[in-house]
Amino acid sequence: MSKTLNQDAFLIVPLYNEAAVVEDVLKNMKTKFANIVCVDDGSKDDSAAIATGCGVMVVRHPINMGQGAAIQTGIEYALQYDDAKYFVTIDSDGQHSIEEAQEMLNYLKKNNLDIVLGSRFKGQAKNISLTKKIFLWTAAKFTRLTTRVNISDAHNGLRVFNRNFAENLNIQLHDFSHASEIIHRIGEGNYKYSEYPVTITYTDYSKAKGQPMLNSVNILFDLLFNRLSK
Amino acid sequence: MILIQVILVTGFILFLWRLLTNSNSYQVRALTKIIAIIFALTAIIAIIFPETTNSLAEFLGVKRGADLLLYLLALVFIFFVLNTYIANKKLQNKIVLLSRKIAIIEANNKNKSRK
Repeated sequence: MSKTLNQDAFLIVPLYNEAAVVEDVLKNMKTKFANIVCVDDGSKDDSAAIATGCGVMVVRHPINMGQGAAIQTGIEYALQYDDAKYFVTIDSDGQHSIEEAQEMLNYLKKNNLDIVLGSRFKGQAKNISLTKKIFLWTAAKFTRLTTRVNISDAHNGLRVFNRNFAENLNIQLHDFSHASEIIHRIGEGNYKYSEYPVTITYTDYSKAKGQPMLNSVNILFDLLFNRLSK
Repeated sequence: MILIQVILVTGFILFLWRLLTNSNSYQVRALTKIIAIIFALTAIIAIIFPETTNSLAEFLGVKRGADLLLYLLALVFIFFVLNTYIANKKLQNKIVLLSRKIAIIEANNKNKSRK
């Protein structure tokens, strides 16, 4: 692998039971990024071993703690490196495009932003179901109302942010609620943000693994509880 | 509104307040203990003089003492559930922080030995 690829950026890849696809996904990422931190969230399958075999940095949670916890672990691990100036969170199931991650990084640097969020509604969503579309639109609408952060897609795992944002993020919601928490943090911290159109590929594999929509009830409760308990 | 309704509604409002503030200040902890003591003393009186629950129930606007006990039990139970939930969340946070430290230390050690 080339050592000159994006030395200043660290890819944070939360990984949980993706043994079927993770090798291809990581190899593809390595064509664009030199620094990849894969956080295995206590997978029950061979995911962690496969990731280690791919020659990326692997951090293993001793127990399963959730995607938000995994992303925070990855950030804290990468922050140990002084040359980590930019951070990219990206899913390990291959639903995001690594080329678009690269474009988002360029966009963030060019416009001197704190964070760039991927949005499937500014781009294309392949094979998305109508119910999922309505659900995501409603979630984004709700997030816009509660945070005044103007976004079209509140639950996109592809994000690029700078070191300042990474240092101050400190994700408290350990499961899927972290996506909304990050948006809230943008609003509170007055960060310079932008959305970037991305393509999400919904394969049968990712559809089968996606989070159930009923989970939005849990996310809502977590957010309320976490905000009021501060 | 009869007296028991006032008491139960106040109880559930307190429940919501506890849910939303989630404060673990010394006031809340002291209040919890005072309520527990009053509850225990009332229970002892009720055990020794069971008829008193009937007269208390009548005074509060409930038909029977047994009904009154059931209502109060429901209130106590819901507070118990809430407190357990809060304690669990706090414990979970501690576990996440600990596990994260372990994960990062392990990963650092591995990277060192590889170099």
